[in-house]
Amino acid sequence: MGVAIAYAGAGIGLGLAVVGAGLGIGRLAAGTAEGIARQPSAERQIVGATNLALFLLEGVAILAEVFCLLIILLKN
Amino acid sequence: MLMVPQAPVPEAQAAGQAFNPGDLILGHVSNTPLAHPLIHLPTVFGIDLSVTKHVFMLWAVAATVFVVITTLVQRFVRQERLVPAGPMNVLEIGVEFIRDTVIEPNISRKWSDLWTPLILTFFLFILCANMVGLIPIFDVLGLLNHYVFHAGEDAFLTRLIHGGPVATGNYNVTAALATITFIATILAGTLAHGFIKHWKNLVPPGLPAPLYVLLIPMEIVSMFVRPFALTMRLAANMTGGHIAILAITSFVFIFAGMFGTWMAGAGIGVVFSVPLAVGISGIEIIVVLVQAYVFTLLSAVFIGMAINAHH
Repeated sequence: MGVAIAYAGAGIGLGLAVVGAGLGIGRLAAGTAEGIARQPSAERQIVGATNLALFLLEGVAILAEVFCLLIILLKN
Repeated sequence: MLMVPQAPVPEAQAAGQAFNPGDLILGHVSNTPLAHPLIHLPTVFGIDLSVTKHVFMLWAVAATVFVVITTLVQRFVRQERLVPAGPMNVLEIGVEFIRDTVIEPNISRKWSDLWTPLILTFFLFILCANMVGLIPIFDVLGLLNHYVFHAGEDAFLTRLIHGGPVATGNYNVTAALATITFIATILAGTLAHGFIKHWKNLVPPGLPAPLYVLLIPMEIVSMFVRPFALTMRLAANMTGGHIAILAITSFVFIFAGMFGTWMAGAGIGVVFSVPLAVGISGIEIIVVLVQAYVFTLLSAVFIGMAINAHH
């Protein structure tokens, strides 16, 4: 029972992390595309500013996935 | 926290009749078990100095990077003309890319000469350590061992084959790299502003006193969270791709076992596993490049934040 709950928790947590990261990356991509469409000459700066936020976001999502994996590995 | 799952003992796999994808996947990404290291070394001050596979790969990659880069640069410095020739071109593209997109926007001109070597070393080392995972050296060696060499259970070759080849997929390795960034951040702030002023720069001056009670703990926590996030990002990304490829490949054996015939496994392999694994391997090439870039970019950003503390 406890093991089943651990597996369920890890699975649900993984799904939630993916949903959150997907929403965040989607917003970032939309913002970047709009920004470049409005101001094509500033593409380099816009991409640079987006990259940093993207990588920080990705780090949080990866952290969530690592903790989900730890639930599975340390379930006993 | 920094524990790495130990590889299962190979005998258990050989003796076990049922195929266990979990053990197989962990065995392919984790370090060699401490009970069977590659080279036995004594324990000093409670630290077991034995060389495991990740340490071995770390040294191999570091030595390769050092020899190749030094040779290239030495040859370039010694030649008459300033136009690079041969493989030096590739190195120059990489160095220029890092200089233009990572160092110059983040670290001010005055300090960039001091920190460029560190950032470039990070980039080249992490890139090469990541790329080793894309080359199936140890899988080919394993095949050769199985069909040609027949090395014994305790032979060096057998111990070398087991475990993951990606040193940067180990949390301990990336934690060490992130620690270098952490120390470099403090050093950069200290050199630019002096020791006391660097710590004062962490919080903006001239705020009401109650705000500092909230702000100072937050800044201290974020100071330690940054290297922690660097550690986790690199290691988890490098391990994650391998786990995904192995899990998808495992479907072949899972289906073959489920239906009791190898035909089912071969079918799912042709239709599903192999195309998807090839696609994920393609993504892995991008991930390898991006993660090396991200680590260097964030290191440069943190160093730049300590230098250009404009509160």
